[in-house]
Amino acid sequence: MATSMSTPKLTSQKALQTLLLYHTANSKLPATLSPHSSSPLSAFRTLTSLSSRCCQSLSHHRRRRFTTRAESENGAEPRSYDFDLFTIGAGSGGVRASRFASGFGASVAICELPFGTIASDSVGGYGGTCVLRGCVPKKLLVYASKYSHEFEESHGFGWIYETEPKHDWSTLMANKNAELQRLTGIYKNILKNAGVTMIEGRGKIVDPHTVDVNGKLYTARNILISVGGRPFIPDIPGSEYAIDSDAALDLPEKPKKIAIVGGGYIALEFAGIFNGLKSEVHLFIRQKKVLRGFDEEIRDFVAEQMSLRGIEFHTEESPQAVVKSSDGSFSLKTNKGTSEGFSHVMFATGRKPNIKNLGLETVGVELTKNGAIQVDEYSRTSVPSIWAVGDVTDRINLTPVALMEGGALAKTLFLNQPTKPDYRAVPSAVFSQPPIGQVGLSEEQAVKEYGDIDVFTSNFRPLKATVSGLPDRVFMKIIVCAKTDKVVGLHMCGEDSPEIVQGFAVAVKAGLTKADFDATVGIHPTAAEELVTMRTPTRKIRSSSQGKTDAETKAVAGV
Amino acid sequence: FSQTLIMSRKMLIDGEANNNISNNEEEVQYDFDLFVIGAGSGGVRASRFSAQYGAKVGICELPFHPISSEVLGGVGGTCVIRGCVPKKILVYGASFGPELEDARSYGWELNEKIDFNWKKLLHKKTEEIVRLTGIYKRLLSNAGVKLFEGEGKVVGSNEVEVTQLDGTKLCYSAKHILVATGSRAQRPDIPGQELAITSDEALSLDELPKRVVILGGGYIAVEFASIWRGMGSTVDLCFRKELPLRGFDDEMRAVVARNLEGRKVNLHPQTTLSELVKTEDGITVRTDHGEELVVDAVLFATGRIPNTKRLNLEAVGVELDRTGAVKVDEYSRTNIPSIWAIGDVTNRMNLTPVALMEGTLFAKTVFGGQLSKPDYSNIPCAVFCIPPLSVVGLSEEQAIEQAKGDILVFTSGFNPMKNTISGRQEKTLMKLIVDAETDKVLGASMCGPDAAEIMQGIAVALKCGATKAQFDSTVGIHPSAAEEFVTMRSVTRRIAFSKPKTNL
Repeated sequence: MATSMSTPKLTSQKALQTLLLYHTANSKLPATLSPHSSSPLSAFRTLTSLSSRCCQSLSHHRRRRFTTRAESENGAEPRSYDFDLFTIGAGSGGVRASRFASGFGASVAICELPFGTIASDSVGGYGGTCVLRGCVPKKLLVYASKYSHEFEESHGFGWIYETEPKHDWSTLMANKNAELQRLTGIYKNILKNAGVTMIEGRGKIVDPHTVDVNGKLYTARNILISVGGRPFIPDIPGSEYAIDSDAALDLPEKPKKIAIVGGGYIALEFAGIFNGLKSEVHLFIRQKKVLRGFDEEIRDFVAEQMSLRGIEFHTEESPQAVVKSSDGSFSLKTNKGTSEGFSHVMFATGRKPNIKNLGLETVGVELTKNGAIQVDEYSRTSVPSIWAVGDVTDRINLTPVALMEGGALAKTLFLNQPTKPDYRAVPSAVFSQPPIGQVGLSEEQAVKEYGDIDVFTSNFRPLKATVSGLPDRVFMKIIVCAKTDKVVGLHMCGEDSPEIVQGFAVAVKAGLTKADFDATVGIHPTAAEELVTMRTPTRKIRSSSQGKTDAETKAVAGV
Repeated sequence: FSQTLIMSRKMLIDGEANNNISNNEEEVQYDFDLFVIGAGSGGVRASRFSAQYGAKVGICELPFHPISSEVLGGVGGTCVIRGCVPKKILVYGASFGPELEDARSYGWELNEKIDFNWKKLLHKKTEEIVRLTGIYKRLLSNAGVKLFEGEGKVVGSNEVEVTQLDGTKLCYSAKHILVATGSRAQRPDIPGQELAITSDEALSLDELPKRVVILGGGYIAVEFASIWRGMGSTVDLCFRKELPLRGFDDEMRAVVARNLEGRKVNLHPQTTLSELVKTEDGITVRTDHGEELVVDAVLFATGRIPNTKRLNLEAVGVELDRTGAVKVDEYSRTNIPSIWAIGDVTNRMNLTPVALMEGTLFAKTVFGGQLSKPDYSNIPCAVFCIPPLSVVGLSEEQAIEQAKGDILVFTSGFNPMKNTISGRQEKTLMKLIVDAETDKVLGASMCGPDAAEIMQGIAVALKCGATKAQFDSTVGIHPSAAEEFVTMRSVTRRIAFSKPKTNL
């Protein structure tokens, strides 16, 4: 019984078989799946309450003794470990997996680098990218920068300022950093309360069951790699002058004029932030359009709205060099020419998994061609005792997905429930200004997958804009499979899009039909009600006429 | 034209297969297939859709004016001219006040004194509703509906009379008559009541009142409390119950009350007004607790009554209920087979989208050949107080009352991310009510920023019987407030089923 408390196993024969079905590549039966010990669920409950009672007082050493003794009694395990799970990296995925694993009765340790706002080989912090260098600080800056638009709107609603509001960058940075400190503290507390042992330092895998942190060795039945990703700047002359998103979130002063290179969501979000805070913003994108992979109409619409707010787009321009001039300003050289006078040049040119110095080569963890850790559907690497979740696996790089993967892994390892993360209909948002929310397939993907689709669109001026007089618009789109009437994609760009799309994501995930949408009564007056009152398709795309689909689509779309 | 008429006739008969229409009626020639009295949300929708089914449609509406009366109204009706739309515009306007305060912590340097020009907002509002009433008129004419300006009356089961502005009367026969005259604010009978205003006037005041008393605890009362408070006025809200918003989930009512208080609206629960007196300094208001308040305006938000008085309905035999609402069956038909009614005048669920639904299904039933009943289950709605409240499905109390088994309640109260920096002390509350046995989500509610926008998609899920497991399997959108709805893992409380007491 004690064994099962500290080393819970997958014992259900059926569950095991299910799991094994997906393990053809690594057919060797891994240690954690050995079917010899039986672990009644009651044991988990005992330990759950135990771990929550003891949380911090239960030291690493006591746990270890506990485990060792238990296993020698049982006699079935050839060796004992310091921990059931050792997690490297305390970001969204790592913290979630560790907490849940501990909650399910496992003894868990987690290591993380010391706190800092800008990540490096020696700086990180509890909470990870999302909390310290991603979602949270980004959203706080979006809030701050959105005010300038609100000031403009407010004029139309009768508000008058004697002098135009000015922004003080240092107040914002100070308040933002205080909030990040608070949050990293909360994350530490969450881990502490869950009874997870926290170790500060850089984790390196020594063998399939051993992690080295600052020269100290820790053994674990399972190792989880959740070290995330880091911004990537291409190696061009002068790239050392460029800042990445880490630095952009914590600049000592606000850029006067900034060049942002990149057309992805990070580039758009920062373009919105700095534009809102009254910097002059130039966006350089290699392609014709921003947001590759998104629905074409959304791509057009968001760019148009952002231009109207004063962001200058330089399309089909590839960066070739950053040059520092004698007055301290920077120029950006591209295939089309040179733009000068920038106080800052930011590269938002993608992120790469953090796989360096983890010892992956020595233990033989396989990587994908993009340098991400290769995992199976259960987040297991090519080494059976080593697992990976989150951005380091480069599946869908979103916090809630890392949470899902972390939660699923804890269930797989310590709750007798082999659980695959479900990547269907994962909604996402871009916090550009205006923001984007989306779930399911783009029109282009839907045509490919279903052939016959009906597309419903609505492009309107929201009530707020009709009064404020600003040129803001909202674009919405629902993509329906013609054969089944199922809503397979939903996209929106305009105020509150991310908040609006969440509820619709439940509906799309549940496989609801357009008729179900139509049967729902609107909430009046909202923007969201438009999504349940789209009666007439904007176009019907049929595979029989696929030859001319493209041209037709473009003609009718007219965003 | 005659072709259309014949076609629509034929559809009529199909549509009414189950209803007894005398045979000889078919031979009667009517001026219109449908004559609608009242061009608000329901009436306009029913007219347009009926016309699209091929019917010949006439509609009458009173001349436009922001403040309604027996002889003033306007195409667009309450929603567009003195309800949802102007109200939302004022809510937007009012929201900037507290927003500007919050901006300071985000690094914005603003003057100490920020002015608000009520007249400018009012002008913009009027411009917008004039624009919208024009759009509604165009919608009607594009649909081929003939619009008459004047007061409509029912003078027979197939006969309407329209009194035009100049006093001339027009008389038309119609195969079907649809009453869609909506409702009006009512005033309580207390001394000095003539000094008070209703929501109609409140949306069109010449000056922003600096001190206001609002009587009422319904959605209109709390919305105006938020509007005026946001614009900087002193607001006292008096209501009969312990909490405002009777009928909503109790926990959410408490949150709304707390938020109003947090934003410095003075709440007077279990209080009514006993007298209003005009004084030099404004209006002196006496409450039944003997309190005295001197204010610039008193708003009665004490309910609305159906507009049936001058329609002559009783004379032609149309039954009204005791509130004066037109009694209708599930298809919106009155006891006179050729007379129908939709929207607020029937006092079913008084919401614009519901009137739209009733109008659509009326047209479908009568002219589209498909008997269609409106479905009143899981209709979402919103209260645009600041921050707003939005709900769909059952409240916790309703769920317990209707329960056939245990009820699970999931709640999440949190400080919205924006407040972490602004320092605003105002928690958002979200709530899901789940049937323990079937796992179906029976109700969802939220009070917090963007609640109304967030709830629409949740409403689609509830309408289709989504389970809690389906909510849980949906990945969150991070960072948003709405993601809380799909990440409520642990149950807040379980309410065990107790058999209701019976008399047996």
